[in-house]
Amino acid sequence: MTSSTAERSPSRRAGRQRHDTFRYRDGKVAYLLILPVMILLGIFVLWPAVYAGYLSFQNWSFYKDPEFVGWKNFTDVLKDPLFYATIRRGFMFVLMTVPVMLVLAFLFSSLVVSVSGRFAGVLKVSIYIPTIISTVITSIVFVLIYDYSGGLLNWVLAYFSIDPVAWIGDPAWALLAIAVPAIWLGMGLTSLIMVAAMVDIPQEFYEAAAMEGANWWQKTLYITLPQMKNIILYLLITGFVAAIQQYELPLVMTGGGPLDSTTLPNLFIFNHFRNDVNVGYSIAAALLLFVVLGTVSAVVFRILNSEKLVD
Amino acid sequence: MGTWVRDTLTPAQPRVDLREITIMQPTITRRHLLGTSLGLAAASVLTACGSGTPGEPAPTGSAPASDGATEAAAAVTIQFWHRTFTPVENDWYTGIIKQFNEAQTAVKVVGTEVPADAWDQKMKAAQAAGKAPDVYTHPGSIQDAVTAGQLHELDSVVPAEALAEIIDAAKPVSEKDGKYYAYPLLLEPQGVLFWNKDMMEAAGLDPEKGPKTWDELFGMCEKIKPTLQKGQYCISPAQDAVTFAWSSVGQQYNFAGHTALKDDWTGAAVEDPGYEALIAVYKKLWDNDYMPKQPLAAYVEGKDFGEKKVAFKISGSWMLSEIGSDYPDLLMKTGIGALPNSPDAGDRTATTLGNFKWVIDAKAKDPQAAGDFLSWAIAGDPALLVPFFVTTQFTKVPVRDSVQKAVASDEKAAKAPWVKVITDEIAPTAIPEPSYPWDVSVAVGTAIEAGMKGASPIPAALATATKSIQTVVDREGLAAKAPK
Repeated sequence: MTSSTAERSPSRRAGRQRHDTFRYRDGKVAYLLILPVMILLGIFVLWPAVYAGYLSFQNWSFYKDPEFVGWKNFTDVLKDPLFYATIRRGFMFVLMTVPVMLVLAFLFSSLVVSVSGRFAGVLKVSIYIPTIISTVITSIVFVLIYDYSGGLLNWVLAYFSIDPVAWIGDPAWALLAIAVPAIWLGMGLTSLIMVAAMVDIPQEFYEAAAMEGANWWQKTLYITLPQMKNIILYLLITGFVAAIQQYELPLVMTGGGPLDSTTLPNLFIFNHFRNDVNVGYSIAAALLLFVVLGTVSAVVFRILNSEKLVD
Repeated sequence: MGTWVRDTLTPAQPRVDLREITIMQPTITRRHLLGTSLGLAAASVLTACGSGTPGEPAPTGSAPASDGATEAAAAVTIQFWHRTFTPVENDWYTGIIKQFNEAQTAVKVVGTEVPADAWDQKMKAAQAAGKAPDVYTHPGSIQDAVTAGQLHELDSVVPAEALAEIIDAAKPVSEKDGKYYAYPLLLEPQGVLFWNKDMMEAAGLDPEKGPKTWDELFGMCEKIKPTLQKGQYCISPAQDAVTFAWSSVGQQYNFAGHTALKDDWTGAAVEDPGYEALIAVYKKLWDNDYMPKQPLAAYVEGKDFGEKKVAFKISGSWMLSEIGSDYPDLLMKTGIGALPNSPDAGDRTATTLGNFKWVIDAKAKDPQAAGDFLSWAIAGDPALLVPFFVTTQFTKVPVRDSVQKAVASDEKAAKAPWVKVITDEIAPTAIPEPSYPWDVSVAVGTAIEAGMKGASPIPAALATATKSIQTVVDREGLAAKAPK
């Protein structure tokens, strides 16, 4: 008994301490503050998600009452080789965009924090401009650049006696051709977030390292990168989710072609939603994509464990 | 592939929605084809039997009576959506709505012109919100829409005599299980060969004589190629999977004697020498640089042909109306003929016959008012429809005898030499779009694109198509849906 009481008492103390921690917090105000967001989330996220889950087991066409079909929509999706191909393509697109974007943004941010304030401002504004340009406009601009017979890119290549390339007409090039504007669009925000993270790193670390004779690579490897771990984790997750869900670029630039080479998962689902009489298949595919995204995000979190920085 | 891009980039250009002619329609019997043939022949021969006065509002007929009570009660409002087409077609749609609204006061029609490339998503969003338009235009087959309960039947809201006027060739796209669900406006060949007579002449070829076979076409391209400047090509055919999916069905029939599914719809019928030969001709166009490696304009558009970037263009018969509208100087220099044939095609056609219909939504608030508008506009006075067919350069075929006669009697018909080619040579033998699901056609389109571009060997591309089609057959339970 004694021993068990002794064992229990620290946990009781801990519990009391936790209780004390929350004693002076105003829970009611907190709930009131998050209420509007919860209501909006409930209406626009939670309820549609629950309803989508319900509809994914139905055959539904907007005109007839839903008819229960069990797991058929899910098995149809899972038996469809085009669905797997589109998920694979989504991962390929992530690999083509996210690492390149992170590296470029890191180099750019390093430049920004190392130059004078005024020039840094010019750099930050320049890199952010693509972010405020609509994806559709970007798509059109890049289509003009890529145009086979009158495009800027082939015109430049012609000076080097290189034959015109069907950038968005050749399955070998098309995915890369839409990855470039995706990187261009995503660079701005990624860079600014990295700049903010770099500015936040205490200058003393670098001063101490400089006194020890560390060079740029060593400072980057042992100070900058470890200090930016959480930011990189955040950018990795959001970059991954944004890239695999990209659909405006292929929709406008290639329509998913040639030969489905740019049909990313969301465009695949969108095309089914647009063309199918019943919406069950599209909803089931969307939910399965949700599972894929959730799983990958969880794995990334697991590998790059988020933790508080030790200042 | 290029359609979205081109559509987006060239907003001022007339557009024909690719999807408008992608959805499939049911099988037509020989009787139907004979009916079309006779109807078309009648249209081109009987030139003295015109009726009505073009442009003049017809008596309201089946339209609601206009009296003081209804005026005071304010009109029932009908929402009508139609797609963006060529300027002359858009004008006709605007005009017919205006005329209807002026002719009576009981029903007020609010027309909305929807950009063709935005149609599908806008309609889906409206349907999801329960706000689909009361009346709208509809291409292709009605089978899926009827099965889904999307369309209101017309027998109760359109006069029986108006429904009886629909020619046999158009019945499969408007009728299902003895009930009418759509009123057709037109039929049009989806695959026609156009050529620039000046460019033919410059290459020492007879400008009046198009190629009858693919070998003849290759020979002509070989002669034309040296005369071309940078950025010009011999031919602009379809070149992406989605466009091939719908535009090549007639050519599949021409080369193989059948389309993509077995007769009992239990599986694919594409691993066949005919399909291999079809892909091979496109591969030859691609490999020899007779065609551009990226579309210069969408299949449905005539921009590349109008700008003289190509000597030949494969498109639907509607392209001529775009040439007449946007490149009038080129109109009389444009040759038109049937698509080249496979060596052993015999008398098999190489094109499908597309269609366009008006339908009433199953959730229309006042189906009778919607039916009154539809009946008045396209099932009533033929004179109201004549401007549509005249301004589109006689490239479309009316689906009512009375309209065919009225159109044929227009004086401009005699001055359009291509009328005879379209109505007498191409349309009568054209086959209907298939009624099997769109995904089947996409699988074939993908195989043609893959084989043409060398992304995979032709037999492998067809083997992949077979697998994809089998997935659709199993998923949709097609064996039970095969036409009897």
